Amino acid sequence: MFLALKEIKKEKFRSGLIIAMIVLISYLIFILTSLALGMARENTDAINSWGVAKITLSSNANVDMRQSFLTQKQAGTLSKNEAYLGETPVVAEAKGHQQQSAFFVGLKSTQFIAKKIKLESGHRVRHSHEVVVDDALKLKGYQLGDSFKLNDDKTKFTIVGFTKRAKLNVTPVIYGQLGTWRALRGIKMGPVTSVVASKTNQYQSHQDGTKTYTRQQIINKLPGYQAQILTFVLMIGFLMVISMIIIAVFLYILTLQKLPNYAVLRAQGIPSKVLVGATISQSFLLVASGLIIGTVLTAVTGLVIPAQVPMAFNIPLLAVVGLVILVMALIGSLIPVKTVLNVDPVSVMGGE
Amino acid sequence: MSAFSVKNVNQIFGSGTAKVHVLHDVNFEAESGTLSLIMGPSGSGKTTFLTIIGGLLTPTSGTVTVNGIDYNQRSKKQRDALRLEAIGFVLQAYHLLPYLTVADQFTLVDKVKPKGNLTKAELNQVLETLGIRSLLHKYPSELSSGQQQRVAIARALYPNPAIILADEPTAALDGPRVKVVGSLLKSLATDHHKAVVVVTHDSRLIEFTDHLYEMQEAY
Repeated sequence: MFLALKEIKKEKFRSGLIIAMIVLISYLIFILTSLALGMARENTDAINSWGVAKITLSSNANVDMRQSFLTQKQAGTLSKNEAYLGETPVVAEAKGHQQQSAFFVGLKSTQFIAKKIKLESGHRVRHSHEVVVDDALKLKGYQLGDSFKLNDDKTKFTIVGFTKRAKLNVTPVIYGQLGTWRALRGIKMGPVTSVVASKTNQYQSHQDGTKTYTRQQIINKLPGYQAQILTFVLMIGFLMVISMIIIAVFLYILTLQKLPNYAVLRAQGIPSKVLVGATISQSFLLVASGLIIGTVLTAVTGLVIPAQVPMAFNIPLLAVVGLVILVMALIGSLIPVKTVLNVDPVSVMGGE
Repeated sequence: MSAFSVKNVNQIFGSGTAKVHVLHDVNFEAESGTLSLIMGPSGSGKTTFLTIIGGLLTPTSGTVTVNGIDYNQRSKKQRDALRLEAIGFVLQAYHLLPYLTVADQFTLVDKVKPKGNLTKAELNQVLETLGIRSLLHKYPSELSSGQQQRVAIARALYPNPAIILADEPTAALDGPRVKVVGSLLKSLATDHHKAVVVVTHDSRLIEFTDHLYEMQEAY
């Protein structure tokens, strides 16, 4: 550590350049990770907020809640652990506002999902023309008491509450009554709900024409979700590997430049482990410094970035990502260790 | 008392038509308390000889015995430890670590060999003698060639080794400084009972030597 600290102190510009490179790499990885997490959350926030473990859909709905319709018989008898949920895509339209695509989710106010929705402002839905909406609509200029129409329905729906993080498939959710879902779907008789959701893992429907899935199975079948996650994971993975190679090359060049110095130290009998320790601890100090600055930059970005940008900063996840970068960089720094171990002290002896 | 001895050492580099027989059946013995000067033309193998004595190079044949033990009987790690404990190198190119101040060059020795080094007073005395005491906080790049060479000498002396091997220690020094370094090396031999071997072209050091050897050109 002594040699590493002294070299960093003396070679401020060179160390600064390497730290700057690690800052940029770590910042890019942190931001991409946060963006990936934010995008993933915007797909699943609403489902995760319902507190459901299992969901029963029509067996022919291709694991898509929007395509599912269950009759009273198929829904079966509900305990307090189960709830109806009707979902349909809608377009909200109001004077002075652009059209807004959304998912309407109809709930029964006496069942657990409706009770679990956390309000940011306003009150819960009490009447068929009332809705609670995702706060993304607030960013679009809607306020409590504003009204809009949904699809071709003549009814004017009034916003009585806002809720945070209520997005499904990156689309805002509008919560209303189950009867409203039926009306929007034009259902006069037959289906009573899209799905039956249960908060217990033991729940299983045995009705004909139905199939029960876990919450994760439903999430995985959300349109585009898997492709998006896979894209980000591959991107971050490749970035990490490329970063490791870049950092390793830099550290290797740095070590090569010091070989004559190391040869002198070897001639003086300084043990190899001291030189290897200096190489690794220098890498650790440079990478750790870069990560700390990268973390600070990410935190600042998190404070100033507009709310519309789907970024989520999960500190434990980012800590793991940072740790992986550090470990990979240290692995990279081990590459020149063999060269250090094999340095020939005779090479520094001048003369003949 | 013999600090080290060299018996029938041969050193051959290369093979076939590129073969160079640098050292021929060299026998040598250095006693503690003496300063030995090895002179000879370029290419005669002076530095190679010093490298073999220092345990950095294993000779093609022959034995080198330090403190009564043949180098061949020591592992690489043991040879490293021996160099750290008992042998002080003053190299021709006086490589100082560029990112350590003069003071840090000595601190590094303390880090890897905490015991047996010169005391602060002894170090100050050496620095004073060499005229570099005021340079403790300077980096090598801030020193002249002569100053760097004197710092390299002080660094080699700091671990208080029993054997001092110097390769052209006065190459970058002017006349008065040569006398200072010559006197210091002589004093280390006589007053501190060290075995000092100096490889040099510099005939100005002859006046300080106890034994003068001349190496013939290799063929």
